[in-house]
Amino acid sequence: MNLAATIDHHGDPSTATGIPNKKLLFWAFLASDCMFFGTLISTHLVYRLHPPPGNPVPTQIFNIELTSFSTFILLMSSLMMALAVNAIQRGNVRSMRSSLLVTITFGLIFLGCQVFEFNDFVFEKHVTITNSIFGSTFFTLTGTHGTHVAVGVLWLTLMYIRSFKPASATGGGWVGRAVVHLLFFAVAAVLAMYATLGFVHAALASGVNGTMVAAYLSRYGPAAAGAFLAVWVLRLLGAEHGPVDFSARNADDVESMGLYWHFVDIVWIVIFTAVYLLEYVFPAGPVR
Amino acid sequence: MDISLPAGAPGHAHSQSRYNVYVQIAMTLAIITGVEILLIFLPFAKWLVIAALVALSTVKFLFVIFFFMHLRWDKLLCTAIFFIGLVLGGGTLWALVRLFGAIASVPLSAQP
Repeated sequence: MNLAATIDHHGDPSTATGIPNKKLLFWAFLASDCMFFGTLISTHLVYRLHPPPGNPVPTQIFNIELTSFSTFILLMSSLMMALAVNAIQRGNVRSMRSSLLVTITFGLIFLGCQVFEFNDFVFEKHVTITNSIFGSTFFTLTGTHGTHVAVGVLWLTLMYIRSFKPASATGGGWVGRAVVHLLFFAVAAVLAMYATLGFVHAALASGVNGTMVAAYLSRYGPAAAGAFLAVWVLRLLGAEHGPVDFSARNADDVESMGLYWHFVDIVWIVIFTAVYLLEYVFPAGPVR
Repeated sequence: MDISLPAGAPGHAHSQSRYNVYVQIAMTLAIITGVEILLIFLPFAKWLVIAALVALSTVKFLFVIFFFMHLRWDKLLCTAIFFIGLVLGGGTLWALVRLFGAIASVPLSAQP
C-alpha cells in the first residue's frame, strides 16, 4: 500500500488534541508572532499619524514598482511552498525538492529587493534608522520582517539538504557532505545577489550598453562566475545516490516550515497595505 | 474551483485537486495585488479606497491562512489558537492607533 495514502496529514490520533504536537506548537508560535508584528506595525502607524518636522515624505522615497514586484514574488513563493507540502504529502521527494528550490530562489529575490530598497533609502534618499522617526520605525518593521524571511530561507535550505540524507547513513560522512552542501548554497546565494544587484545599479546609473557591460564584467565578472560555479557544484551535490531517509513521514516537518513561510507572507500583505499603499492615499505634505 | 474535498479523500485525485486550488488561489492573489496598486492611483473618494484596500488585504490574508496554511482542512483548535494571537495583535494595533489618533495626543513638535 502507498505510504503517503495511509498517513492522515491533518490529524494525529496519538495526541490528546488530535493535532500533531509540532503543528500545534507552530500555530501557538505564529499567534505570538502576530502580537509581535502587531506592536511593530502599530508603532510605525502611530508615528505616521503626527509626523514631526523634518520627517521625510514616504511617497517621495518609496519605489512602489519595486515593492509591488517583491510582493508578487513573495506571493508566488507561498504558492511554491504550498506545492512543496502537497508533494511530500504524496511522497514525491523530487517534486518537493524542486518546489523548495524555487521557494528559496523567490525568498532570495525578495531579500535582494529589500537590500536594494534599503541601499536606495540610505545612500540616495539619506533616510537612515537614526536620522528620523520614520526611518527608525520603517527600518525596524521591514528589517524585522526581512530577518524572518532570511531565517525562513535558511530553514528551507536546511530542509532541502536534509532530504538527501541516505537511508543507510550512519556515520559522520553524511554530516560533512551536508555542511559542504550548505556552504555552497551560501556562497551561491551571496555571490548571485551581489552580482545581480551590481548589474541593476550599473544599469540604472548608465543604461545597458557596451561600455556598461564591459565595466560590469571587470568589476562583478568574478562574482558572477563564482555564482555559476557554485550552482554547478550544487547540481552535483544534488544528484541522486540511492534511497533517502525522507518520505511522506516527514510531511509534518515540511508543513510546519510551510506555516512559518506563509506567515511571513501574510505579515507582508499587511505591511504592503498599511506601510506602503496607505501613504499614497494620505500623502504627507512637503518636508517641513 | 472544487474546495470541498475532505481531508481523507483518497490519493491522487485529492492531491491533484489541491494542486489546482493552490494555483488558482495564487493567480487570484496576484490579481488582487494588481487591483490594490491600481486603486491608489484612481481618483475615488479616500474612504472608498481605504475600505477597498482593507477588504482586499483581508481577502488575501484569509485565502493564505485558510488554503495555503490548510486551516480550512485542519481541526478548529488550530484556527482558534491563531485567531487568539491575531485578535490580540490586531486589537493592540486598533487601540494604539485610536489612542494616538486623538487630537489630545498630537505631540507639541507636530503642532502647526
